[in-house]
Amino acid sequence: MNASEVAVKVKEIINNVTSIPVDEIGDTTSLRDDLDLDSLSLMEIGVDIDYAFQLGLPDEALQKIGTVQDAVNLVLEHRERRSA
Amino acid sequence: MTGGEGRVVVTGIGAITPVGAGRETVWRRLLDGTCGTGPVQSFDTSGYNVHQGGEVHGFRPEEHVATLDPARLPRASQLAVAAARMALTDAGLETVSSPPERCGVAMGTTSGEPREVEVLDDDLVAERLDEAGAGFIARYPCHVIAGNVAAELGFAGVNAMIPTACAAGNYAIAYALDALRSGRAELMLAGGADCFSRITYTGFARLGAISPDVCRPFDRNRKGMIPGEGAAVLVLEPLERALGRGATVYAEVAGYGLTCDAHHMTAADPEGAGGARAMEKALAESGLRPEEVSYISAHGTGTPTNDRQETIAMKRVFGEAARRVPISSVKSMLGHTMGAASAIEAAVCALAIHTGRIPPTIHLEEPDPECDLDYVPGESRELPVEVAMNNAYAFGGNNASVIFRRLRDGKSAP
Amino acid sequence: MSAPTRPVVVTGVGLVSALGDSAPELWQALAAGRSGISEITAFDTAGLSCRRGGSIDGFDPRETLGQANFRPLDRTGRLATVAAARALDDSGHGGADRGDRTDHAGEAEIGLVLGTMFGSVHTISEFDRRALVAGPQYAKPLDFANSVINAAAGQAAIWHHLTGVNGTISGGTTAGVQAIAYGADLVAGGRVDAVLAGGAEELCFESFLGFDRGGLTAGADDEPAAAVPFHARRRGFLPAEGAALLMLESEAAARSRGARVLAQVRGHATAFDPSRGRDPERAAATVERVARWALDSAGVAAEDVALLSASASGSPSGDRSEARGVASALCGRARELPVTAVKALLGEALGASGAFQTVAALGSLARGTAPGISGLDATDEGFPLPLAGPDERPVDPAGVALVVAVGLDGNVSALVISGGEDLGSGSP
Repeated sequence: MNASEVAVKVKEIINNVTSIPVDEIGDTTSLRDDLDLDSLSLMEIGVDIDYAFQLGLPDEALQKIGTVQDAVNLVLEHRERRSA
Repeated sequence: MTGGEGRVVVTGIGAITPVGAGRETVWRRLLDGTCGTGPVQSFDTSGYNVHQGGEVHGFRPEEHVATLDPARLPRASQLAVAAARMALTDAGLETVSSPPERCGVAMGTTSGEPREVEVLDDDLVAERLDEAGAGFIARYPCHVIAGNVAAELGFAGVNAMIPTACAAGNYAIAYALDALRSGRAELMLAGGADCFSRITYTGFARLGAISPDVCRPFDRNRKGMIPGEGAAVLVLEPLERALGRGATVYAEVAGYGLTCDAHHMTAADPEGAGGARAMEKALAESGLRPEEVSYISAHGTGTPTNDRQETIAMKRVFGEAARRVPISSVKSMLGHTMGAASAIEAAVCALAIHTGRIPPTIHLEEPDPECDLDYVPGESRELPVEVAMNNAYAFGGNNASVIFRRLRDGKSAP
Repeated sequence: MSAPTRPVVVTGVGLVSALGDSAPELWQALAAGRSGISEITAFDTAGLSCRRGGSIDGFDPRETLGQANFRPLDRTGRLATVAAARALDDSGHGGADRGDRTDHAGEAEIGLVLGTMFGSVHTISEFDRRALVAGPQYAKPLDFANSVINAAAGQAAIWHHLTGVNGTISGGTTAGVQAIAYGADLVAGGRVDAVLAGGAEELCFESFLGFDRGGLTAGADDEPAAAVPFHARRRGFLPAEGAALLMLESEAAARSRGARVLAQVRGHATAFDPSRGRDPERAAATVERVARWALDSAGVAAEDVALLSASASGSPSGDRSEARGVASALCGRARELPVTAVKALLGEALGASGAFQTVAALGSLARGTAPGISGLDATDEGFPLPLAGPDERPVDPAGVALVVAVGLDGNVSALVISGGEDLGSGSP
């Protein structure tokens, strides 16, 4: 999966949790501020992203995901570390 | 504003907790500041990043359950039935003279009998469909808890199961109070029960709510709650009946307040409005001013948010008097026993009134500047307790406050 | 037994059912004998002996609540929230933006008391199974929030800003009646201005499996009579889902705001059979006792009872206890008592059943007739309620309806309601 495919997958996860259409979620849209998500929904998004990409990250790292781009970066970083 | 004029008192207490069982043992250990939390033993927590729990140890249901087969009762029911038996014995009511249809049960819970759905899930995940679901309906639905208590005792009166999560014990006591005042019952057992389960543990772990070491309510370094289990049941009856049979009266149930935050499923309203209103309603019904409260049993779970918001709510109601009323959280010692918690804490309030001592908040070493009230750190205290307030807050934004007061005399209050 | 301290009236009804989305729609469907039972398609019933139930296919909360994010609510939460929306509107407390408004000054503080058997056993089971299969770190937070049995009541409260008393009563088929009784007492005691009271239950594989394994359901190979209330050849019930909430207020408050008065909750009672149905004499005696107490609490006599809205579901033991107990309580009146049994057409919706039975009773009082019990062409020998049958019966609208709920778990509850002056004048 390349970066833009990861981004699409992340947006699908966000859509699953929020019903917000994928094309309304920008790469730099703030999940907390622009999408007005409560703490439980944000946590669920973090868990689902970790599950989808098998990141195995601690909650503190997932809590840092503020935008789709943050999630993409995390996934790519994780992949690099794994293949290193 | 009240539901009736009858006065209702607490004449018996039964409790099974992570620090022991029975009124005397539990009260002594709470006053001693005994810590009942420790490494979880009932299942393997190696897949989690937390490992602490408040479990009940050495509980033998066969020592208490007489009518029903204790081995066939699911766990929360075992705890509830045992606590009910203890409460009746404590009240001097091993033999109940009231007609069975005048005796009722109101119980609260958070999870009911979650181990039963765990059994189902183990079967479903292993694809043992033919075995899955046997006995499920008789054992899982949470109202089996109230039903098992009534079936054990032969109580044929009102029977209510109120699963309002971590405020449920208070709701059950409120329901029982109204049943007695309205004359629908002349003896009520009211309390709460929850058992330790992987589902509950997984849920709180997943929310990041569990403390890695101990429960430190109101402490600057508090890191969360500790899931626990237990049961407590109070015997409630009309004052005249209690006096007539020469019962020991621990305290009178003065009133209650129930509200809803309508804000968030698992986090309280940061402004504490709903919690404050519940306290205010309880005070209004009891005919009391905030300054008249001698002791508050706080919800005090030890999570960063609860303890801060609870402090805000208490200040809203008590104003400057908030600084003068001692407040403690026995969850520091028991962990969070879920649906049993506010029932155990109601017993704490009744016993505080009866004995003139209040339990401490243990593990409170460095107070949080935002939690700057008197939380009775470390040591229990002796002082006359005229009025005790029991506060509980639950998932779903359910807020419940129950007020107990010392029985001054057998006559009507002025 | 003391009567409620101030009169409690019903000012609105909201429901979600397989037979309609409002009280008038439900009444019409029941009168026409339309069935809400169908083959279950929502989950796989292969290997189960029962394969039919009262499912609400195509239930979409967006139709009532608009475009919004419903992921945080599970099915039970959605059913309860939609029923609440409809009841708020029907009673004049609604308004499309009620939940979104940030200023609620001057509004009545409205509570919610929800009866349910499971909340959602599906949600808690999914939560647990995900953790078992994938590891506890991958359990879903939103599912955990909905795994507590009071979740649906909490979700509906958040959605509609219901800050009054928020309660959940857990029980089997008695939970809805117990919830309405609890709500009525809260209003009578001045603890809330208004309260939505009733029940909600979803149909899901986990509970369906449990009922089937417990031998409580009518089987797929059984004749239709197997699931007909009071039928001589009844074998068990058909599980169903739905939600129904009644808006309860004090009569004074309703009149002062010019609300419609659809009904009055005149009295109620609840009790427990410690034999949990194993002793048929005791079970029937418990029903008799509860029916008598309910009538006493309402200050009415057997002759005043115009209708029984029965709990009967096709359960061999439950239906018998109910018939014998009610007949004993009403003595001679039982021989002339019209009987309606909604579960013949709706199935057994557990926590929601008591509320559906209450709504159906109101329909009979409004129309002056009780629909027949579909398919009831043979009853037990000595069956003591001779007017229970497939034919429509006239009902005296000036009488009271007795709503009885008989659980298979020992609980028995009853409500006494009478029609209000605006009953039958149509919804707004």
